[in-house]
Amino acid sequence: MEELLRVEGLESGYGEMQVLWGVSLKVQRGSLVVILGPNGAGKTTTLRSIMGIIRPWRGSITFDGEDVTKLPPHKKVPRGLVLVPEGRHLFPDLTVEENLLMGAYTRVGKEDLSDTLELVYSLFPRLKERRSQKAGTMSGGEQQMLAIGRALMAKPKLLMLDEPSQGLAPKIVGDILETLVRLREEQGLTILLVEQNIAQSLKIADYAYVLEQGRVVLEGTSSELLEKEDLVKAYLGI
Amino acid sequence: MVDVGLVVANLVYGLLIGIIYGIATVGLNMIFGVLKIVNVGHGAFIMVGAYVTLLLFTLAGVTPPLTIVASMAVGIGLGLLFYYLVIKYLVDAPELATLLATFAIGVLLQEIVKAFMGADSRGFTWNLGNIEIAGVSVALSKVIAAILSIALLGFLYLVIYRTKLGLAIRAVVQDKEGAMVVGVDVDRIYAISFALGIMVTVASGSILAMYLQSGIHPYMGEIYTLKGFVIAVMAGLGSIPGAFIAGILFGLFENLSYVALQSIEGIQPLVLTRSIAFLLLLIILLVKPSGLFQR
Ligand SMILES: Nc1ncnc2c1ncn2[C@@H]1O[C@H](COP(=O)(O)OP(=O)(O)O)[C@@H](O)[C@H]1O
Ligand SMILES: [Mg+2]
Repeated sequence: MEELLRVEGLESGYGEMQVLWGVSLKVQRGSLVVILGPNGAGKTTTLRSIMGIIRPWRGSITFDGEDVTKLPPHKKVPRGLVLVPEGRHLFPDLTVEENLLMGAYTRVGKEDLSDTLELVYSLFPRLKERRSQKAGTMSGGEQQMLAIGRALMAKPKLLMLDEPSQGLAPKIVGDILETLVRLREEQGLTILLVEQNIAQSLKIADYAYVLEQGRVVLEGTSSELLEKEDLVKAYLGI
Repeated sequence: MVDVGLVVANLVYGLLIGIIYGIATVGLNMIFGVLKIVNVGHGAFIMVGAYVTLLLFTLAGVTPPLTIVASMAVGIGLGLLFYYLVIKYLVDAPELATLLATFAIGVLLQEIVKAFMGADSRGFTWNLGNIEIAGVSVALSKVIAAILSIALLGFLYLVIYRTKLGLAIRAVVQDKEGAMVVGVDVDRIYAISFALGIMVTVASGSILAMYLQSGIHPYMGEIYTLKGFVIAVMAGLGSIPGAFIAGILFGLFENLSYVALQSIEGIQPLVLTRSIAFLLLLIILLVKPSGLFQR
C-alpha cells in the first residue's frame, strides 16, 4: 500500500508552551488509523497542526506526495485533507443544508455538488429530514453526523476525526463508528481517527499509535496492540 | 404646554436623522461583529465621506447621491489599506492594542484631511425644495438622504444574506475554527468584512453631508464616534439590523428629549440634548449591558 500521509518529527504548541515533541506517523491509502492517548496527550494538537490551524514549529507533513507542512487549512482542504474537529465547530445559526454547503466551500461554483449532497443524505437520512433546521437546535448525535457530513462535502482523500464519540450515547457511538467503516469500504476513504475508546476503535482500525505527553510511545497493528492491551491501558491510565 | 405641532415635527426629523444615525453605525457594528474589534476611529471615516461629497459636488458638480458611489470606492480602498497595513496583525492582539491602533488611524485621517483642507468648517447648498410629511415641511434632500441610507442597508443585507461571500462571513462569525476547517480563508474574510464596514461608514458620511450640508470639518466625526457607541451599545455590539433600528430610536429620542427640555425654563436644550445621549448610554449599560436587541 502507498502512503497518503506522512508526519515526521512534528513539534508544535501554543505560545511558548511546547506540546508535541517530535511526533511521527504514517497513514497508508485506504487504511483506518487510530491515535489513542490520555487527555492532554496532544492528540488534538497533532490534528490541528497537520491541518494547519496552528503552525507546526518543526518537522514535516507530506500529503499525497506533496510537502504541505506550511500550507494553511484553506489550501489543504482542496487537496483532500479534511478535519472533523473536536467539539464539532458547526455553524449553529445556519441550517443543516447551509452547513453542508459550507463544507463544500472550496468547491462551490467549480463543481456539481448534488452527488456529494445525495451521498451525505443517504448516509445520514436524518440530515435530509432536518435540512432546513438550524444546526444549533439538533441533538448531539445529529450534530456529529452533520459535522461528518460537512467534512464529506469537501470530497476528502483523508478524513481526520477528533473524538467523534465524545459525549454521545453508546448506541450513537456505535452508529458513527460503523459509518466510518462503511465510508472506508464503500468509498475507499482513508481515515485518521482520534479516540479514547480503545476496544471499539482498535476493532475497526488497521494500525494504531499511542500518544503520551506529546510523543508516540507505542505503535502497531490493531492485533499487536490488542495483544499488549495491558500496556496500552497503562499508558492511557485506565 | 406641549405644542403638538412641535412634537410631530420632531418625530419626523427624529426619524430622518435616526435613519442616518442607523446607517452611520452599521459599519461600526459589522466590524465588531466579524473581527471583534472596536473601531475607535469610526467617525474619521464618516468625515472622509463628507469631504468626498463636498469636494465632488463643489469642485466637479457631481450630484450628491452619485458621490456615494465614490465614497464606497474610497471606503473599500481605505478599508483594505488599513486592514493589510495594521489591523491584520492586531486581530488576535489584546483589545487595548486595537483600540489604540484604530484611534491612531482616526487621528491620522483627521490630520491628513486638515493638512490638505484646513480646519475651517465648510458646507454647500443642494436645494431641491421641500415636501410635506405628516404636515411637516421637510427638505427633499434630507428625505433622499434617508432613502439612500435604506438602500445602502439593503445592499449590505443582500451581500450578507444572499451571496456565497455573505455565507462565509456569517460562518466566520458563528465559528471561526469551523470556518477554517471547511477551507475558508479567514484572513481574507476579515479583510473583506473590514473593507465592507468601512465602505458603509464612508458612504454614510456622504449621506450625512447631504443631510446637513454644513459643519464639514476634520473633527466633525468625533461626535459620531460617540453617538455610534451609544447606538451600538443600544443595539448590542455586532448586530447589523439592530444597529439600524437603534439608530432610528436614538434619533427619535434625541429630538423628543429636545422638545421636553425646551419646556423647561432657563436651560439650553440643545446643549443638554447632547449630554442626554450619554446619560442614555450609562442607563443602558447598567440595565442591559448586552444591548436591547441581543438574545
Ligand atoms: N488553545 C490552547 N492554548 C494553550 N494550551 C492548549 C490549548 N489547547 C490545548 N492546550 C494544551 O496542550 C496540551 C495538549 O492538549 P490537546 O492536544 O488538546 O490534548 P488531547 O487532545 O490529547 O486531549 C494540554 O496540556 C493542553 O492544556
Ligand atoms: Mg483532544
